[in-house]
Amino acid sequence: MELSFWWMPLLWAFVIAGVLALAFVLTRRRMRRRPARAAVPVAHTERLTALPAYRRALTRYRALLALSVAAVVVALAAAVVLSARPVAVSAYQPELRNRDIVLCLDVSGSMVDYDAEIVDTFSDLVDEFDGERIGLVLFNASAATAFPLTSDYAFVEKQLSELGDKMRNADEDYSFANGTLLGNGSSLIGDGLGSCVMRFDDIGQERSRSIILATDNFVAGEQIVTLPEAGEFATENDVTVYGINPGDVASKSYIKDLADEFEKVVADTGGAYYALDDPGAIPAIVGQIQSEQAADMTGATQIVKTDIPVWPIVAGLVGTAGLMFLGWRLKR
Amino acid sequence: MPALLPRVKTTLSIVAHRRVRGWLDGEYRSVFHGKSHDFDDLRPYVPGDEIRDIDWKATARHGSPLTKRYIASRKQAVMIVVDSGRDLAAVSASGEPKRDLAIQAAGVLGYLAHRHGDQVGLVTGDASGSALVPLGGTEGHLERLLQIIHARASLEGSPSDFVGQLDYVARRFRRRMLLVVISDDQALAGTGHGTGGTGGASSASGANARTQSTPGAPASDLRPLLRRLHAQHEMIWVSIADADLVAATPRGAELLDVQTFGELPEFLRRDPQVRREYAERATAQKTETRDILDRIGIASTRIESTRDVVPKLFRLLERHNHAGR
Repeated sequence: MELSFWWMPLLWAFVIAGVLALAFVLTRRRMRRRPARAAVPVAHTERLTALPAYRRALTRYRALLALSVAAVVVALAAAVVLSARPVAVSAYQPELRNRDIVLCLDVSGSMVDYDAEIVDTFSDLVDEFDGERIGLVLFNASAATAFPLTSDYAFVEKQLSELGDKMRNADEDYSFANGTLLGNGSSLIGDGLGSCVMRFDDIGQERSRSIILATDNFVAGEQIVTLPEAGEFATENDVTVYGINPGDVASKSYIKDLADEFEKVVADTGGAYYALDDPGAIPAIVGQIQSEQAADMTGATQIVKTDIPVWPIVAGLVGTAGLMFLGWRLKR
Repeated sequence: MPALLPRVKTTLSIVAHRRVRGWLDGEYRSVFHGKSHDFDDLRPYVPGDEIRDIDWKATARHGSPLTKRYIASRKQAVMIVVDSGRDLAAVSASGEPKRDLAIQAAGVLGYLAHRHGDQVGLVTGDASGSALVPLGGTEGHLERLLQIIHARASLEGSPSDFVGQLDYVARRFRRRMLLVVISDDQALAGTGHGTGGTGGASSASGANARTQSTPGAPASDLRPLLRRLHAQHEMIWVSIADADLVAATPRGAELLDVQTFGELPEFLRRDPQVRREYAERATAQKTETRDILDRIGIASTRIESTRDVVPKLFRLLERHNHAGR
């Protein structure tokens, strides 16, 4: 515990000493003037003061006076402590909660199962978010923003869970992918990633930006930008790309080059690359990405002063209440 | 300073109409024993005259009681003894200053004495000493005497010393006199109320610095001194009732002990237990004082207000005269 205004008790000491001295002087002067004007002079007070009951009452009276003094002291001490503003000092490393995450999902047919898993995982994660913003971009031949970066978590959760359900029933209704087939070809990964990078607003602000890119990097068509170019664009904008590639498995060795390219791009942006076969591994991967980011994103140690006024306030209240009660007892 | 004697006369004439005044005169005359036996004349009997002074033969002839009057061989002396310390400046049971009641009582008795051609003196004083106003017979003398009591009894004066005044009388006078002792509600038997009794009041209000011996409150037994005085003089005793210490004061004013100037905190005065004990003690004290004086043979009365003065003094004289002697 520390005092914000260490000099306050000294000030109080001076004031209290001054008041006491003044009271002393005034009392002395009043006593010297002897008979107070309003007082009734009486003789032979021993008629009263010699009574045993009077002695007992006097003891009680003195006890009440002593208690009153104690109450005043407690209240005053509480006031002194409060006015000096006691604070608890603690050092802590803030976990930055100013992340922007864009989920960048390839919605070509082979990817839908993985997308659904990613969407579901984030739908669960949203509960823990505080200060983070999350956006969702779906792309195939063109990129469509499902929802922009937002911290309206209720909305996000609703969108994500609806989208998850639709994706699982993609055979019946593929409408969630509307607007993603306007390009020249399909699975234009470079264009998709570039579009996702462009979803970040507030570029000037000090925020951490990351993209979770889920794709098999199997391009079929003419891209405007290639994946490495999009990766450079991301790096220029301080965007970290985490790659999830369900296609990078031994059974599909024909796309080995594509997977290598993907991994390299991701690594260049400072992100991590995950190759997997099983959609069930997605939650673990997302958790891994989260914790990896958390490690990067603790801020500088900060000194935090927290007011701790509870005990002085309680003591002050008790003292004041006690004083009022005793005053009432004495005057009643 | 307005004259005090006219007020006494007014009190007498208002409170005591003619008949009572006659009685008062009769009772007063009978106070003195050892009259001369030089017969002067006869006059109609008034209640209070001594039965043995009735001239039965003349009464039989005349048809109504006649008493014999004697030529006073010498003037009688009435000595008023009053402590004029701060105790007298205190407030009485009626709220009037005790001083005023004392002056009324002294004035009435002094005026009666004056009308009978007797001489009145005064012994008064406080802890700083006693003063004697010698015997004198004029109204002016009586007025001066009352003025002295009035002037001396103030809160700025010295503390009281009642015993000191009685001591002074005992040491000073050889001649037999009528001692009119004006006292108050102090304990005569010295039942331990005197010493340090006021300490509680003074320390409770933080006036410890003023704690001093209390010469006004007799710590010792007064009875031997009273017996001695009674043997030498005629004595009548007038107690001025002291203020009720547990009664509510106007506007809740504090009570101030005149000896120590310590306050009696209201908190203590309103305590029910204290009030009960005080009431018991006050009653006991009244009876005790009266019993002590009765046993010695001194007639006493307790005056609570100005209206009390004449009737109570009348009854006091009556009691004095009819006391077994």
